[in-house]
Amino acid sequence: MRFFENQPAVTNAPEGRVEGVAKVTGSGKYAAEYHAGNMCYAVMAGSTIASGTIKSIHTTDARQVAGVLDIITHTRKPLVPGMADAAKIKESRFGLPVFHTDNIYFKGQPIALVIAETLEDATYAASLISAEYTTTEAKVDFDKAHAAVPLNAAGKERGSADAWRDAPYQSEAEYTIEHEVHNPMEMHATIAHWEGPDKLKLYDKNQGVNNVQRTFARLWNIPADNIEVFSEFVGGGFGSGLRVWPHCLAAIMAAKQVNRPVKLVLTRPQMFLLTGYRPKSWQKVRMGADAGGRFTGLLHQARHSTSVYESFNDGITRISRMVYNISNVKTEQATVPLNMSTPTWMRGPGDCSGAFAVECTVDELSYQLKQDPVALRLKNLAITHDPESGKPWSTHYLNECIEKGAALINWQQRKPLPGQDKEGDWAIGYGMATGMWNAGRGNASAGITMQRDGAITVKTAMTDIGTGTGTGIQNIAHEQTGIAKNKIKIELGNSHLPPAPSQGGSTGLSTISGAVAATCNALKQKLAGYAAAQDDTYKNAQAADIVLSDTGISWQTAGNHFIAYTSLFEKNNLTTVEVEASSGPGAERQQYAFCSSAAHFCRVKVHTKTGKVKIDKMVTVADGGSIVNEKAAANQISGAVVGGIGMALMEEQATDQRYGSLIGNDLAGYHFAVNADAPVIEVAFINKPDKNINPSGAKGLGEVGIIGCAAAIVNAIYHATGKRLRSLPVTPDKILLG
Amino acid sequence: MEKQTYSRRFFLSTSSMAAAAVALIPGNVKAFYKNVKKRFIPAKSVNTLSLTINQKQYTVQADTRTTLLDLLREQLQLTGSKKGCDHGQCGACTVHVNGERVLSCLTLAALVQNQPITTIEGLAEGDQLHPMQQAFIECDGFQCGYCTPGQIMSAVACVKEGHTHSVEEIKEFMSGNLCRCGAYNGIVESIQKVAAR
Amino acid sequence: MKPFTLRKPNDIKQALSGKKAGEAYIAGGTNLVDLMKKHIAEPDALLDVTTALSAGIETSSRGIRIGAMVRNSHIASHAAIQSQYPLLAKAILAGASPQIRNMASTAGNLLQRTRCPYFYDITLPCNKRKPGSGCGALEGENRMSAIVGYSEHCVAVHPSDMCVALAALDASVVVSGSGGKSESIPFASFHRLPGTTPEIDNNLPVNALITAVEIPANAFHKHYAYLKVRDRTSYAFALVSVAAALQLSGTKITAARLASGGVAHKPWRWHEAEKFLQGKEATAANFSQAAAIAARSTKPLSHNGYKVTMLQGAIETALHNCLNA
Repeated sequence: MRFFENQPAVTNAPEGRVEGVAKVTGSGKYAAEYHAGNMCYAVMAGSTIASGTIKSIHTTDARQVAGVLDIITHTRKPLVPGMADAAKIKESRFGLPVFHTDNIYFKGQPIALVIAETLEDATYAASLISAEYTTTEAKVDFDKAHAAVPLNAAGKERGSADAWRDAPYQSEAEYTIEHEVHNPMEMHATIAHWEGPDKLKLYDKNQGVNNVQRTFARLWNIPADNIEVFSEFVGGGFGSGLRVWPHCLAAIMAAKQVNRPVKLVLTRPQMFLLTGYRPKSWQKVRMGADAGGRFTGLLHQARHSTSVYESFNDGITRISRMVYNISNVKTEQATVPLNMSTPTWMRGPGDCSGAFAVECTVDELSYQLKQDPVALRLKNLAITHDPESGKPWSTHYLNECIEKGAALINWQQRKPLPGQDKEGDWAIGYGMATGMWNAGRGNASAGITMQRDGAITVKTAMTDIGTGTGTGIQNIAHEQTGIAKNKIKIELGNSHLPPAPSQGGSTGLSTISGAVAATCNALKQKLAGYAAAQDDTYKNAQAADIVLSDTGISWQTAGNHFIAYTSLFEKNNLTTVEVEASSGPGAERQQYAFCSSAAHFCRVKVHTKTGKVKIDKMVTVADGGSIVNEKAAANQISGAVVGGIGMALMEEQATDQRYGSLIGNDLAGYHFAVNADAPVIEVAFINKPDKNINPSGAKGLGEVGIIGCAAAIVNAIYHATGKRLRSLPVTPDKILLG
Repeated sequence: MEKQTYSRRFFLSTSSMAAAAVALIPGNVKAFYKNVKKRFIPAKSVNTLSLTINQKQYTVQADTRTTLLDLLREQLQLTGSKKGCDHGQCGACTVHVNGERVLSCLTLAALVQNQPITTIEGLAEGDQLHPMQQAFIECDGFQCGYCTPGQIMSAVACVKEGHTHSVEEIKEFMSGNLCRCGAYNGIVESIQKVAAR
Repeated sequence: MKPFTLRKPNDIKQALSGKKAGEAYIAGGTNLVDLMKKHIAEPDALLDVTTALSAGIETSSRGIRIGAMVRNSHIASHAAIQSQYPLLAKAILAGASPQIRNMASTAGNLLQRTRCPYFYDITLPCNKRKPGSGCGALEGENRMSAIVGYSEHCVAVHPSDMCVALAALDASVVVSGSGGKSESIPFASFHRLPGTTPEIDNNLPVNALITAVEIPANAFHKHYAYLKVRDRTSYAFALVSVAAALQLSGTKITAARLASGGVAHKPWRWHEAEKFLQGKEATAANFSQAAAIAARSTKPLSHNGYKVTMLQGAIETALHNCLNA
């Protein structure tokens, strides 16, 4: 790849990410930017009703448009074998059986796909598609629908669910969070190219090429090896690329239909409809504390929306079971089917929503108890053991995050009572909250190709969605091999490379670092094997005995029994040395529990006359184990905090209940934070390795930066104004009327 | 499957009549007729355009509907300018026309003929990155990189316009460029760095 | 987009005589191209008037004349505007983004259409887009909609910030008709209220072009403020905006101007509140009273009652800020 190969040769690039030059020069290719010979364009047309069936689709007008090649509908399509009948559709677990059903489940559901010579032709023709429907009543009002849905136990009850009632200090309140949308800056896109009747090449935006490959191997009933998926540059994901969405299948069907490469790029409004979202949620938290401020009981209930054709469970109450030592805990959840598309994991899924409610509750208790929110949390943290599994945390430094954050924001300047700090019409307040995330690790493979000059290329199918995975791999390979960074190239995001899981849930670096370390060891072993032919010292060498440099191999210390790579290659008649190795979690998972965590602190100014909230200062301290690349890690956290600011103050997808419509589903209607919404965010790390999780000691940071962030901001608004706001986002109107 | 073809002659012969007829019929009746009669579909208008992009002259055949952004990305394979919304709501497509930052997604290509256009591909000089490109690498002013070309084109203009007196001013004048990764820390730092030179 | 042809008239005369029914002028294109992509505007032909119209700003003792083609950003950075009409510069900089301001023309800013989401989604009812289809926002998602001057046929608001300042400064719109005759329309009568014909945004005569906007000389350059409250700090349309300007003699208000965006189908002047302020002391109590007077004339919809509170707070704050300007 092409992180390196595609970028222009420049001589004045400073040190930065491996793909830095490609990104700042615009030469890095994202999915829709490849060019295939004879390529044509596809544009989808959506249903204008939210529930019912299609009676007929009128394509006559669209077919008149010059340049239109064909139009796919449920009655005219290349049949996807894995969707041949209802049973197969169900078994495929693909979600929406696009163009394989006449059922309409949500407004905007694709009903036709126009394939044309140019984007302009296809777009215009798609606007001329119309349909007649049999309409049934649509249900899109979550607020109205959720109360009727019974709750189910989510996890085992600890102690007594009612214990909170007996506590001298109690908080009982409902919290809601509006429907939020990922909206990565790059719109999802697929270029599908059937290179042969059963040979498919895809340039696709996703967070896991092997997942896409497997999905279509099943649906089209062809060997996975016949499908090559490229996702070398991915313009953000935030979870939206963890599933394979209908448009991707639509592009493949279109390419089959016209027997030409087809490019399909979603429009921004389609992004809101067809690539998932964070479901709208309702929560009720009841929590009690004793006079000393020990939490005695917690009952956490949550419901959130899903679609009528699939059930997606976000796991909102999970976080209640892991942060604090509470002997009485009950958690309940339910999903509420609506005539909307299926929601999916969005950055900090579940925990992000749950933490908002629970961390606001803890804040409320702190004021009742007249105890500092910092001290109250420190007192109750489950810092040694995971309260859910009872296992010791491998490492867990949330207490240190809290202490460090409090120092960085000057927490001692905070006045204990709310509404005490004013500058004219601006009310000033401090708030804090915590976030936690299970630190997972998956199985992955990586490979290395070494050239005669000692230059290596590390390869894996894993994507880099902007997290700095490629750079992290380079850092780890450099540390493991001793080979200079400028001699280490990275290839990723291609399904033909050594397989890796999708990049999500903060597991990317944790997962791949093990594979990279393993393949570095494999390289050492293999080189030692070649070296043994020249020098007996290397016989039966272990990887730990081998020291590599830019130019050659040594025994135990640099220069000792040195053999130059050029000599090794020559003697063994090699052109390249190739190794591949896999790695994954092991017995340590039985012994320990693993988590990442963060503490968020902020100072806000609230304009009491206009409801404007200005975030004056924001500090986040995270425990992500070893920090492999400080700059990228800090960027990751501050970026997540920007997402948290959006969640707290503005992100909200409105719907119109009468038409089942999203309202203002574009980037002018759906606001997320612009540059001016965020202060310069201060980030710090604990930076202590977790030696049990993987060879790098890194625990993953993608989620914890946003989990708890909204609660910190809303808690600060309470401290500033005395207004306890429990519905996100806290837009100016809510401040004024709150 | 039946191969379908549509002759240009067919709709030329019927279109003018249909247009006249449809214009006179009220909306509700029009809907009824739509099922019976073919709608008038105007022919696309394709012209020869002459554009000056990154100091290079291009002569292309383009549809009047083609935006500068689509022309760059789809016809000239200059894919550095990004499409993030296609409606002037994100700034990812920012380029310079006549030395000023504009949105190429809302610019019809035919309307900027013979005006100097600079895209991200034209910012570096030979093998030398522009100082703003260097600063973005150094300050890690991006994550996924998709909004980055637009951010950099906007940042270069922001410095040239002189809107760099404070962090607040930089932030306000860079708010037309959304970054969903939230790499605003690095973006601001990059601009401060270049402005200080 | 629907296919269209393109022509470029050399001057205003050609532009006026050359336009047929179903055709449209294009200048900055920031609104029209968007509407064409959304299939809301479907002109058969575009007439590129970027060179036909003036891009010049002329100052005289009587006031300032801004050519129709002057880009928004160029108005905001113009020295005479900054010194004599700073309220206008401030309002412009509160709108859109630097890129859009570099593209958008003066005339186009006046003629931009509402951003009401029901207008923008062709699958939803909207009398402005499709007369007779109903107003989707009236009983729907009307959080952003009007609180004054609306009708049951339309509750959309005018999206411009620049126009709010122009309304406050008693500007006039210079238009040229097909006969080549030039006329001047007071800003207050340029934009319309929706009434029963919300599809018509303004009183620009059919087949006429805006050629310039004129602002009479004034003494509001010392005490002015433009305050825009929105869902995010920048690059968002107003929930409520306030243009305020005062002339003071000592601490006494000799003249006051108050206008708002985000509240009505047109930039809205609060004449009664202005009248109240005239001759009063510039005190918080009087500002508050003026704000209350303005708020009294509003009638919010189901989801935008907050706008009344916000409007009051914004007027008070803007008037207060005038003293610090």
